[in-house]
Amino acid sequence: MVVFALLIINKAGGLIYNRTFHEGLQKLDSNDYLILAGTFHGIHAISRSINPAPAVQPPPGYRRPQTTGIQSLESSHFRLTCFQTPTGVKLLLFTSPEQPNTDIVVRRCYEIYGDFVVKNPFYAMEMPIRVEKFDRSLGAYLVRPG
Amino acid sequence: MSVYSFFIFDRHTECIYSKRWTTQQPGRPTTGVANDSVPPSARKAMKDADDAKLIFGTVFSLRRMVRQLGGADDSFLSYRTGEYKLHYFETPTQLKFVMLTDPRAGNMRTVLHQIWATLFVEYVVKSPLAPTEHRGGKGVGNELFEIGLERFMEVVFAPQQ
Repeated sequence: MVVFALLIINKAGGLIYNRTFHEGLQKLDSNDYLILAGTFHGIHAISRSINPAPAVQPPPGYRRPQTTGIQSLESSHFRLTCFQTPTGVKLLLFTSPEQPNTDIVVRRCYEIYGDFVVKNPFYAMEMPIRVEKFDRSLGAYLVRPG
Repeated sequence: MSVYSFFIFDRHTECIYSKRWTTQQPGRPTTGVANDSVPPSARKAMKDADDAKLIFGTVFSLRRMVRQLGGADDSFLSYRTGEYKLHYFETPTQLKFVMLTDPRAGNMRTVLHQIWATLFVEYVVKSPLAPTEHRGGKGVGNELFEIGLERFMEVVFAPQQ
């Protein structure tokens, strides 16, 4: 049960954070990760539009019903949990398929992001994240000792 | 638990079979444009065709993404949103079986495999009238396959009492 990697995609589909915690996924160069983030951003938007479920009444103030887009994806080697914040930032957490409670883990990562990145006065929104304390805090949470 | 739709795509990216289990759409707010020349039935058919293309595109990209990340022997199985779940199964001949169900549905890989092995192979591949390539879905939606699929899905998605 391990967390392989965490990717953060900004609301325009650009990759702003990318860190691998454990071996398990193929090694990609940074360009491939950028392409991957953009592709996922597009697929996420499409997955909202191909919703086959019967239409529900949109909440007051919205013109169309809220759809969530991809929340989790399973393959035979890993599981991808996607958490989209209300501002459109997406946190992508890659774990092993048998990892439980990935939605809680990704929410905790969001909290860490909120605490160390968004509250950092020197961080410009939508830009790549280079915040040392964020790195350290994520490492303390996701890297398993030993 | 319910099933929304089912698609088969061939190796030429063409949708050769699609079936939708209608969930009665409670009066979708149709924007009443009076001079709309396209009748609603034609518009629905167009939307269905577009949906099939979008689903193929999604599955194709995700499959590629999964291969890139997990290695050549990794395979994309399913994804889930808050509203539905998409299940995917690919045969060695690159036929792609896609099913959209309720998000609460479990693993449908065995179900899709069964549809391929016991229905598609038996009634479509072994049919002497079916062509080898199903251009435009020719020869797939024959009566036996339709009835078999209908029965099979009824059993799989029977309300559990």
